[in-house]
Amino acid sequence: MASWPESPRLIGTSIPRLDGLAKASGRAKYPSDIRPEGLLFGVLLSSPHASAKVKAIDLEPAKTMPGVKAVLALATAGESTIFYQGQEIAAVAAETEEKARDAARAIRVEYEILPHVATERQSAAEGAPKVFPTGNTRAARAQTTGKPDEAMQKADAVIEATYELPVITHVCLEPHGLTAHWKGPDSITVYASTQSVMGVANDMVENLGLESANVTVLTDVMGGGFGSKFNADTWGIAAAKLAKEAGRPVRMFLDRAQEHQLGGNRPSAKAKIKLGAAKDGKLVAMVAETSGTGGRGGSNFPLPYVYKVDDRSRAHTEIFVNGGSARAMRAPGHPQGCAVMEAAMDDLAAKLGINPLAFRLANLAEADMVAGGVNRTDLYKEQVERGAKLIGWDRWKPRGQNGDGPIKRGLGLALHQWGGGGAQDKQVACIINPDGSVELRSATQDIGTGARTILAVIAAEVLGLEVGQIKSNIGNSTFPPGQSSGGSTTTPSMAPPCLDAVEKARDELFKRIAPGLDAKPEDLSLKGGKLLVKGEEKATWAQACRKLGMMPVTATGVFGPGLASTGVGGCQFAEVTVDVETGVVRVKKIVAVQDSGLILDMLTWKSQVYGGVIGGLNYGLFEERIMDEGTGAMLNPDMEMYKLAGATDIPEIVVDAYDTPEMRVRGVIGVGEPPTISTAAAIGNAVANAIGVRVPKWPMSPMNVLDALAAAEGKA
Amino acid sequence: MKAFEYSSPTTPEDALKDLAGPGTVEALSGGTDLIGRMKDYVASPDRVVYLKDVKALAGIAEKSGGLEIGAGTRLVDLSADPIVRKRLPALHQATVEVGTPQIRNMATVGGNLLQRPRCWYFRNGHGLLGTKDGKSLVREGDNRYHAIFLTEGDALFINPSSLAVPLIALNAQATVVGPGGERTIPVEKLYQVPKSSDDRELTLAPGELLTKVTIPAGEVKNGFFEARQKQSHDWPLVAAAVGLKMNGDTVGDGRVVLYGVAPIPWRSEAAEKAIRGKALTRETAEAAAAAAVEGAKPLSMNGYKVALVKTTVKRALLDAAGDRYWEEA
Amino acid sequence: MAEQDSRTPTGPGGHSRRKFLRGSGLAAASAVLTSQAAVAIEEAQAEAAAAEPKLLSGEAPLTLKVNGEEKSCTVEPRSTLLDTLRDRLDVTGPKRVCDRASCGACTVILDGDPVYSCTTLAVSCKGKTIETVEGFDIGEGGVPHAFHQHDGLMCGYCTPGFVTACKAYLDKNPGKTPTLEDVKRGLDGNICRCGTYMGVFEAALAAAKTMKGA
Repeated sequence: MASWPESPRLIGTSIPRLDGLAKASGRAKYPSDIRPEGLLFGVLLSSPHASAKVKAIDLEPAKTMPGVKAVLALATAGESTIFYQGQEIAAVAAETEEKARDAARAIRVEYEILPHVATERQSAAEGAPKVFPTGNTRAARAQTTGKPDEAMQKADAVIEATYELPVITHVCLEPHGLTAHWKGPDSITVYASTQSVMGVANDMVENLGLESANVTVLTDVMGGGFGSKFNADTWGIAAAKLAKEAGRPVRMFLDRAQEHQLGGNRPSAKAKIKLGAAKDGKLVAMVAETSGTGGRGGSNFPLPYVYKVDDRSRAHTEIFVNGGSARAMRAPGHPQGCAVMEAAMDDLAAKLGINPLAFRLANLAEADMVAGGVNRTDLYKEQVERGAKLIGWDRWKPRGQNGDGPIKRGLGLALHQWGGGGAQDKQVACIINPDGSVELRSATQDIGTGARTILAVIAAEVLGLEVGQIKSNIGNSTFPPGQSSGGSTTTPSMAPPCLDAVEKARDELFKRIAPGLDAKPEDLSLKGGKLLVKGEEKATWAQACRKLGMMPVTATGVFGPGLASTGVGGCQFAEVTVDVETGVVRVKKIVAVQDSGLILDMLTWKSQVYGGVIGGLNYGLFEERIMDEGTGAMLNPDMEMYKLAGATDIPEIVVDAYDTPEMRVRGVIGVGEPPTISTAAAIGNAVANAIGVRVPKWPMSPMNVLDALAAAEGKA
Repeated sequence: MKAFEYSSPTTPEDALKDLAGPGTVEALSGGTDLIGRMKDYVASPDRVVYLKDVKALAGIAEKSGGLEIGAGTRLVDLSADPIVRKRLPALHQATVEVGTPQIRNMATVGGNLLQRPRCWYFRNGHGLLGTKDGKSLVREGDNRYHAIFLTEGDALFINPSSLAVPLIALNAQATVVGPGGERTIPVEKLYQVPKSSDDRELTLAPGELLTKVTIPAGEVKNGFFEARQKQSHDWPLVAAAVGLKMNGDTVGDGRVVLYGVAPIPWRSEAAEKAIRGKALTRETAEAAAAAAVEGAKPLSMNGYKVALVKTTVKRALLDAAGDRYWEEA
Repeated sequence: MAEQDSRTPTGPGGHSRRKFLRGSGLAAASAVLTSQAAVAIEEAQAEAAAAEPKLLSGEAPLTLKVNGEEKSCTVEPRSTLLDTLRDRLDVTGPKRVCDRASCGACTVILDGDPVYSCTTLAVSCKGKTIETVEGFDIGEGGVPHAFHQHDGLMCGYCTPGFVTACKAYLDKNPGKTPTLEDVKRGLDGNICRCGTYMGVFEAALAAAKTMKGA
């Protein structure tokens, strides 16, 4: 049975990513950069209306325009219903992008405009037009455990509050899209910006009636997905069809507005929470009514999240709006559940007059067992202790005691959890060539996490080579089946078969060259680029491989037990200043303590945690999809009024890898999602601590902060 | 973006000829506003006249009449100017807070003053007043970034130029040339409140060219403060600039100008009155701040701007006085 | 700087100059001037028709100096520098992300200054020096190397813009040792979505050191 090396040379150290220089020098070719001979430029025509019937589509004006090579209707006249602004109507391919845009605008579409509901408020309002066949809302029955109402009576302190988080969008920097290139009448190569080369290949097979063997999807590098890029999507299939019609390759990527409107989003959340605790700081009951919108999709989130409340009830209502559908976005559901629960916990701690840190630790389950016999509660306790030290929690003061001037300082914290386990059906091929080159192959892809690099780290570790000597070929759908990049599952799915493949290849190499060395295979070993026989250097790696003659070694690895695990904790602390005269929040410092089993590359691992924190900072301070009730349009489908942190918005960030021997023996666990979960929650709590007032709506914008202060003043 | 014809004159005379048309004409400088508007089909001119090759429009010079700043002067050059930095900190501060390093390398003083409103209803194709079927989308819709003064009218957008604010506080004069010759007007007269959707918020006639702004000589104590959500690239929510002619320790004649509260750069006469004859103390600043919000009628979502008006007026005055009490120790 | 709406919500096409003047409701003080201007414009128009300015329209050849090389292609006046580089000259380092002068992924160095190529017309760059990330030194002293070593990138789509802004910033401040705050301000015109800023800052500080030492 394979196992991770006990004292690794490379694993767990900081290794720059294999494709880093190609990316940093502009030489890496992204799917949106690929320019095959004869490339045409595709443009997608979107609906300007949020709710409508398509009555007629006339493509003719576009077809006759200069440079236009193919035009395709994507909606059906008399049949198609428009559910959100941006929905696909038609697509055009032309010699230049400017001409393709002209042509798309020339397409005549007749709409019957229908009433819309653009926001949760509008959708759930009494007398709102029913725009969805199943109704605008769908209320689930309350899920009740114990007797929450009875238990609440016994509480010494109760808070009742409503917290809200807006819809945010993924804002992938490389928009969704692909470049389609037919290699023959029944064979296509697609350069896709995707988190799943296999998913896109499957979509091509199903939608174009092709044989799997004739579809190749390539994603050498790609510009961000965050959960929104698993499929070919309507526009990707359209690109393939346009390319077929024109007989030339077609590049089709969404524009920025379309990316916001139809590239996916994280659902909103609203939670009316009644939370009660006894004087001793133990939670006794929770009653929560929650809602949210994912467009036409779901919006549920976990509650009471990491805390233990025996008597509780929770009712969630789905609200449907004429907005683009939600897609998975970095830890689906968790950032929302974390923010609202952690806010309620903090408000209740304040009411009880208890330090919120102690209050949290007192309300974890005694035994929160995750894979490998790990009690996550023990983990949390140690992580919180480390985080508290790093942020300087001893400086924490109760609300309202954080400065005399206009600038108030505050501290906040929040806990999170995630699974992060892998799939057990993925494969990696390892090829050792007679020239000494080593290649890994799998149909997974690197969405920026460092997946390519960690596979090479494993191979280099086993073969005694340097990471740069390994060719880590992924992002090709024709390779052995690999994992989609989602849910923090890539590393735990791919690292075990990689280890297996490389060990098998090494053993096969030993078997084949041992006789020529008058040795037994078990006498051979590899170290520092050398082949050792019974511990003595006998040949360089290249010389050893040359003994293979003409035949390379190939081995396919599969998942093995004990190499990967699931179930992580983590906590984050935020220190903020709030200017109560402007409502401006500045985050000064964030501490993130994170476990994730065995860390393969500390450099790319830390980058992911930093990135998660910054994503959470954006959620906490800036991001919001703003919909207009009057027109049903998104008002900020850009990167200017849709606000994202720039360099001067980035605080000091301290990442503490909870990288203990106990964690390492668990094997690998993914880390993409967990570190983004609790940041917005911690920031919200730090703001409340600073100004003495809960800002119930994210983001912590000057508007929301000043409104909360004014409301508190009005009440006082 | 609709196709257009393009000219790149090198002299103001040729620029005027090119700006005369025929057809609809847009003048292009830094491009950070116009190109975006053309991409969004909010502007679809027949002709674009590129002004950055007109070298005579760029530059900063101290003349007898005051400090002349060419309309084609890039913001990066304005922000680096030692005279501006030393004597006109309000203008300097407003300039360095515009956009990003790249934007300041591209954008010009004239382009900043004459950019079109950022109102998202305007940018989404609903006209300057943001109406649909004759009704204001702004009033009923998301007006968090809109005006709080003059809101009984139909123009609810805010003037987007943050340089106009200190320039007006400093009593800057704009020189405009056109087919009819040259005229000089106060910078505030570059703007008007449109009465109907056929009106514009800029008073320049088609074919006219802003060539420079002149800040009159004479000592003026000045200060600036802007509140915005992001520290990086963002628009101010509200900003204030003050220009104060002092009589010894008291304010003789003072100007208090606000960004982000009205369809024009907003001079707060009430605040100006409140500081006249007063020493620049925190009490004076508080009084001016209270006066500045008189008559504010916020829309449904932007009541928070009232607090921001108070804060920015107070802080701009105290900035001029060198009392930056809000800066962290 | 005459500007004019060419589109109203009721329909594209733009209103005529005369209609504009009638409807503009200018302040009384400038109304007189404006009507004078109207007459003058008519005259100027006649003149302009006689001596037509040098106008570009439709597709025309353009030669740009990119990374020290003369590169030729066909563009329209409306073609942005970014789209020209990417779609016509195969210079794909600069990326199209916001396409509206907000995010910096399209940053190029134009006559020594970092600018957004998404809001720069290609025709306005004739005769100017254009540097893109592809032209930078990729050796150990270079900015790309520093980004690689310090993991100043994840998906990498914003990275060419950051590297270019960083290179331009360091070139403009030779021999200096920038602080973290300096670096942040210098790179404030770029946005990363993966959240790779920490690596970017480290890379910029390291590159400053190397370049200073060189």
